[in-house]
Amino acid sequence: MEAAVQILDITKRFGDLTAVNKINFAIDTREIFGLIGPNGAGKTTLIRMLTTIIPPTEGTAKIAGYDIREEQDQVRRSIGVVSQATTLDVELTAWENMNIYAKYYGVPAETRKERIKELLDVVGLGDRASFTVGSYSGGMKRRLELVRSLIHRPKVLFLDEPTTGLDPQARSAVWEYLRGLHEKQEITVVITTHYLEEAEALCDRVAIVDYGKLMALGTPTELKRKVMGGDVIEAEVGVLPNQALEALKNSQIALDVKKRENILTVLVKSGAEALPRIVELVGRNGGKIRTMTLREPTLDDVFLSFTGRSIREDTAVTNKRFVSSWAGR
Amino acid sequence: MKGALWVCERDLRKFLRQPAIVLGAIVGPFLTLILLGFAFGGAITHAPVAVVRESYGPVSTNFIDVLRNQQNCVYGGVNCANAYDLVDVSDLGTAQTMLRQGLLKAIVYIPLGFDSSIGNSAVATVYLDNTDPLSAAAISGLMTQAASQISAQVQITPPPDTVMTLDLANMYRDVLYIEFMAPGSLIQSIMFASIIGGGISILFDKQRGIIEGYLVTPLKQYEIVVGVLLAGVTKAMFSATTMLILAILFAGVRPMTNFFGFILIFFTLFLTSLGLISMMTAYAVRAPAPEVYQFTAFPINLILYFTSGAVYPLEGFPSWMRTMASINPEAYAIHALRVVMYKGAGLPAVIGDFGFLALFTVLMIALATAAFRRAL
Repeated sequence: MEAAVQILDITKRFGDLTAVNKINFAIDTREIFGLIGPNGAGKTTLIRMLTTIIPPTEGTAKIAGYDIREEQDQVRRSIGVVSQATTLDVELTAWENMNIYAKYYGVPAETRKERIKELLDVVGLGDRASFTVGSYSGGMKRRLELVRSLIHRPKVLFLDEPTTGLDPQARSAVWEYLRGLHEKQEITVVITTHYLEEAEALCDRVAIVDYGKLMALGTPTELKRKVMGGDVIEAEVGVLPNQALEALKNSQIALDVKKRENILTVLVKSGAEALPRIVELVGRNGGKIRTMTLREPTLDDVFLSFTGRSIREDTAVTNKRFVSSWAGR
Repeated sequence: MKGALWVCERDLRKFLRQPAIVLGAIVGPFLTLILLGFAFGGAITHAPVAVVRESYGPVSTNFIDVLRNQQNCVYGGVNCANAYDLVDVSDLGTAQTMLRQGLLKAIVYIPLGFDSSIGNSAVATVYLDNTDPLSAAAISGLMTQAASQISAQVQITPPPDTVMTLDLANMYRDVLYIEFMAPGSLIQSIMFASIIGGGISILFDKQRGIIEGYLVTPLKQYEIVVGVLLAGVTKAMFSATTMLILAILFAGVRPMTNFFGFILIFFTLFLTSLGLISMMTAYAVRAPAPEVYQFTAFPINLILYFTSGAVYPLEGFPSWMRTMASINPEAYAIHALRVVMYKGAGLPAVIGDFGFLALFTVLMIALATAAFRRAL
């Protein structure tokens, strides 16, 4: 089967800054694919190139078989895009928003009527079609944008941070509708996100991008296995002398050891086996453990191991930026 | 090219939902027209004028009667009935003191021996408060008129060689000041619509990523530009047409024109709309920050408006302002409108104005297209 998106050595430079550096990968048809990475990692630049907003400096990509450099018009007809910031017209009704958008794509009048009704129903906005979008909640707006981007039956749907700014309930509603749409339609979905639980909940495969480079690619399970090979043990420690930490690091039990403040994170092959041995090792070296938890590794752990930082720290920064940019208005 | 229609449709639908935005473009110019037009353009009435008589012969009595009864006269395009009220003051000194105190606008002084020296350089003096040039000009004009009327009546034999009469013949009906101002207000409403309905709506669209959002759709770049300009022109034409109707209803504007004249009027409004919308669109797209646009757009409007001859004839401008007027599209538009509206002139009278406006418009469309190309 031909790939829905085939990225070939794509590179984007802004002056001295290389935002995207020779990225290569393919996204299969009907896949839900996640692009994760901190802000400034290059994922938005990558999406902007794939959606023909900006041209690549080098390399290219093919969307549904069309080249983003040579066949922009066909690419645009094959894709749906939901950008990070809302681009709905709040003065207009949901129906008008959909209708105008359909006209941009030359969808004939009869088809427009049917599809708008059908799509609005799918995301539960059918009875609100004649309300102005200004009266919608954040989650409803997001759902409307989602179906608006599907009005011309695109083959590939790009969603840039689709649930940023939504509360958890609205977020899971958007996920629900997205899964439903994906089941009903023959469509490939590419999502950028910095909510790792979003990527885990939705995506068949994810790519981790940082510093403009592809750091890792695979299914969430694959990635976790590849990086961790097992379980994560988190321990809250009272006292932990350096020699205890060293002993842990040098022992055969731990694949990786990280300590931040009084939280010790140890990656092990098998949690059940390692748990008592860690307690014993720390105790023997004068350390004291207060609580211990054993858990499956998350994408957050994967992210940490590939990029050397937690995506959450980055999220905090992003949110601060978001707030200040609003305050400045 | 259909895409342009959809881009335009979106913009106009939004406008219909919030017409207040463009109504703002009508309120400002309309208030200016009504307030400025009636305040500046009104005839001088009931200006207090003193009569100081030291001579009581038939000619001076006749002269005072003419002054008293001057009715339905017209001076400077203005009906001057009751332009002044005459009061008798006993001596010149008292009258001059009153004038200095602001109680009088003028004094008609008929000196001792005036009547006896008729035909032999009889001089009456009108003292004017010329710190108020408009009243002074109106009063002196009326006085001069009355004096020449008396001169013509008095039969002197043999007639002196120096007597001559001047007949003033108006080519057109009298045009009130507010009518003189009205074309400028039509153009100003176009400019306001361009700033608000054109520039600011694009600024918002650009900020919200809607302009960039167009790029992922199959819309062509030129369709976006044409659509945006088309919507802007529609809004500007809407406000100019509304202004024209308001001016006819409330400002007493009476365009003396036939059907073809109205075509010329609307063509002028259209060319001006397209030019100004393109100009403000180009500026809004390229403005370094929304604030910069908002703070500079209205001064730009002031400069264009007051150097266009909208409120005062260009002939009264100092030379540097005349130079500005010569490159100001609003000046050409206003000239064309006045000529068509009040003189009933045809195409040959305005072809030069159209030429300049067309040139300006083409230039601005090119600028707007280039601005979009760089921004998109």
